[in-house]
Amino acid sequence: MGQAGTGSIQQYNYDIIKKFAVMALVWGLLGMATGVYIASELAWPFLNFDIPQITFGRLRPVHTTLVIFGFGGSALFATSYYVVQRTCQTRLYSDWMAVFTFWGWQAAVALGAVSYMFGYTQSREYAEFEWPIDLIILVTWVVYFTLYIQTIRRRSQPHIYVANWFYIAFILVIALLHIFNNLAVPVGLFSMKSYSLFSGVQDAMTQWWYGHNAVGFFLTAAFLGMMYYFVPKQAGRPVYSYRLSIVHFWALAFLYMWVGAHHLHWTALPDWTSTLAATFSIMLLLPSWGGMINGIMTLSGAWEKLRTDPIMLFLITSLSFYGMSTFEGPLMSLKSVNALSHYTDWTIGHVHSGALGWVAMVTFGSFYHMVPRLYDTRIYSTRLIYLHFWLATIGIVLYITSMWVAGIVQGLMLRSFDDYGNLSYTFVESVAFLHKPYVWRALGGLFFVSGVAVMVFNMFMTIRRSRSEAAELEARIAAKMARA
Amino acid sequence: MSQTKTSKPSAVQTTGHAWDGDIQEFNNPLPSWWLWAFYATVVFAVVYWVFYPAWPVAGSYTKGVMNDITFVDSNGKSKTTHWNTRSALLRDLQESKTAVLSRDYLNKVAAASYAEILGDPEMMAFTRSMARGIFGDNCAPCHGSGGAGVIGLFPNLADDDWLWGGSVGDIQATVKNGHFGFMPAFGEVFDDAQLDDIASYVLSLSGHPVDAAASRRGKAIFQTNEGGCYYCHTHQATGLKSQGAANLTDQIWTIADVNGAADLAGKKERVKQVIANGVQRRMPSWSERLSAAQIKLLTVYVHELGGGQ
Repeated sequence: MGQAGTGSIQQYNYDIIKKFAVMALVWGLLGMATGVYIASELAWPFLNFDIPQITFGRLRPVHTTLVIFGFGGSALFATSYYVVQRTCQTRLYSDWMAVFTFWGWQAAVALGAVSYMFGYTQSREYAEFEWPIDLIILVTWVVYFTLYIQTIRRRSQPHIYVANWFYIAFILVIALLHIFNNLAVPVGLFSMKSYSLFSGVQDAMTQWWYGHNAVGFFLTAAFLGMMYYFVPKQAGRPVYSYRLSIVHFWALAFLYMWVGAHHLHWTALPDWTSTLAATFSIMLLLPSWGGMINGIMTLSGAWEKLRTDPIMLFLITSLSFYGMSTFEGPLMSLKSVNALSHYTDWTIGHVHSGALGWVAMVTFGSFYHMVPRLYDTRIYSTRLIYLHFWLATIGIVLYITSMWVAGIVQGLMLRSFDDYGNLSYTFVESVAFLHKPYVWRALGGLFFVSGVAVMVFNMFMTIRRSRSEAAELEARIAAKMARA
Repeated sequence: MSQTKTSKPSAVQTTGHAWDGDIQEFNNPLPSWWLWAFYATVVFAVVYWVFYPAWPVAGSYTKGVMNDITFVDSNGKSKTTHWNTRSALLRDLQESKTAVLSRDYLNKVAAASYAEILGDPEMMAFTRSMARGIFGDNCAPCHGSGGAGVIGLFPNLADDDWLWGGSVGDIQATVKNGHFGFMPAFGEVFDDAQLDDIASYVLSLSGHPVDAAASRRGKAIFQTNEGGCYYCHTHQATGLKSQGAANLTDQIWTIADVNGAADLAGKKERVKQVIANGVQRRMPSWSERLSAAQIKLLTVYVHELGGGQ
C-alpha cells in the first residue's frame, strides 16, 4: 500500500474526527450555557425554582461533565486522531474501533449528565458517573488506548512526534485513574447506587489523587499534545527546543502524580502527606512552564503573525493563561496560602483560568486550524474569529478577577478579628458580600459562551460552504463528462 | 559571519526530523533561567522537608527538626511535640494574640454578674463584639441577623414584648433550655360562627372597632370553661409568661399578621385561622451546643437587642 504524500483525504480517516469535532462544539455550547445558568443561580437563587433537577447541586456536575468530558474529551479524541494520523502518516488502525470510541464516549457523557439531574452520583468530584457508566467509559477507553498504540505502531515515520507522547501519557494515566478511583461495590445488579471500596481519609486521598491527575493529564498533558502539533503548524516554525520537550514531559509526568493531596490540606490527612503534596506542587511549576516556553518561543522571530492571524492569537493567549494558572496553582498548594484560599471562590477562579484560558482557548485555536482542513475548505469568516477571541478574552478576565475578589475577600473576612480578639464577621455576612462578584462572574460567563456561539455559527457556515463547494465541483465534473 | 539577535534561533540545528510535511524541532538547550529556577524549587522543597513532617519511613515518618510545638493538653499538662496540624491549631487557640485577648475578656465576663456586666461599658462592648458572632452563626438563621424574627414562625427579639419573659434570668433560661410554644387547635371544637365571635373578642381587646354583639358572645367563650382561653391568656388577656402565652391587649402580633391585613375583615380572618389551627413552635435547647459563658453573652446581647426587662 502506497503511503506517499501528506494529507490526502482518502489516506486518513477524517470522518471520525469530524464527528468528534462537531460533538465537542455541541457539548461546549451546552455545557458552558449550563455554567452561566448555575452561576446565575448563585447570584439569584430564585432561579432554582424549587425544581430538584435544575438546582445548583445537581446542575453543577452536569456543567463540569459536559465541559470537561463532553467538550474537552471530544476535542481530545478529535485532535488526537488528527495528530496521530498526520504525524505518523498512517490511517487509524481500525475504523470500527474509532466509531466505537465515538458512541461509547458520547453515551457516557449524555447518560452521566441525565443521571446527575435525577440524583444519581458517586459524589466524587469529576468522577460523579455511577458504576454502569464507569463501565462504559472503561471499555471505551481500553479501545481508545489499543487503537492509538496500534496506529502509532504502524507509522511510516521513524520517530514518534512529541505531541503523541503527551497523548499517550494522557490515555494511559486516565485509564489508571479511572479504574482505581471508581472501585466500588454496587448495591445491586439493577441499582445505580454503589459504595466506594475505600473509606475515610483513604477514600478522600484516592479521590484527589484522581482529581488532580485528571487536571494534570486530561486538562494539561493532553492539551499540551494539542499545543505541540497546532502551534508549530500554525506558526509555520520549528518547535523551539526538542530537549526542553523531553525534560519537561518526564518532569511533568513524574511530579504530577504526587500532588493530589494538596486538595486536602488541614484535614484528617497525615501531615507528611500534605507536605509532600505541597513541595511537589512547587517543584511542578517549572516543568509546567516548559510547555509554555516551548510554545511561546516557537513563535519568537515571527511575532508579526499575531497581528494578522487570529488563530495564533488564540494559541498564544492560551499559553499565557496556562503559564498564569500553573503559577497560581503551586502558590495555592502551599498550606499557608491554602488556609485562606481553600473553600473560597479563589479555587473556582483558578480552575476557570485554566479551563477557559488554557483548555478552551487552545481548543478554539486548534479547531479553527483543523476544521477547514477536515472539510477541505477555508474558514467562513476570519472577522468572526476575531470577534470570538475578544468575547472570550473579556469573558475570562471578568470571570477570573471577580472570583479573585470573591475568594480573597471572603478568605480575609473569615480570618478578620476585631479589637476584642473576636471574629469580625459571621459566615453569612461573607456570603452576602459574594452577591456582586457572582453577578460579574455570570456576566463573564455570558461573554464567553457568546463567543462559543459565534464559533459554532462560523463552523456551521464553513461546513455548509464545503458541502456546496463539493456539490459545485461534482456538477462541473458531470457537465464536463456530458460534453465529452 | 555576523548574526543579528533575532535570527539566532534559526542558527540552531534542528533534530533533522520532519513530521506531517513541515513540523520540525530546533534543538535549543534548556533555558538556563528555567533550569536554575527549577533547582531553586527543589532546594525549597528539601528545606521544607527538613523542618516539617515529610517522608514516610519504616512505619513512621520524618518529623522535622527545630519546629516543635508546645501546648496545653486536655488534662491541663504542657506537652511538646513535633510540628503537626492539630497541635498548631491548639497552640493558636491557646496562645495567639487574638485568642489571649478574647479569652481574658471572656473570663472577666464569665465571673461577673449580669448587673455588673450591664453596668460596665467595656464588658458590654466586648459582649456585643463576641455575641454578635454567636448570634449570627446560631440564632440568625431563624430570628434574622437583626433579631426581627418572622411573623407566624419566629418571635421578634428586637422589640420590648417578651412571650417567655424579658429579664436576664428569663432570657438565659430560654436560651439554655429552649421552649415549646403550644396553643391547641380549636377548629374541631367550635363552629365557624363561634370562631368568628372569639376572633372578634380578641381584636376588641386591643381596641379594634368590632361588632359588639359578636365580641360579647366571644367573650363568653374566652372567659369561661367553654373555651378555656383564659387558662393561658389570663382573664386580663395579658398572657401567662410561664406558658409563653401572648399578650392580646397590645398591638404586637407574633403569630397572626394582624397589622399586615388591609381591613378589619382581613384582621379577623387571620386571628380566626390561628384559633382554628393552634400554634406549635419549638426553640431548641442550646446548653449542649454553647458554653455557659457563651449563653451568658448571648443573654445580655438579646436583652439589649429588644428592651430587656
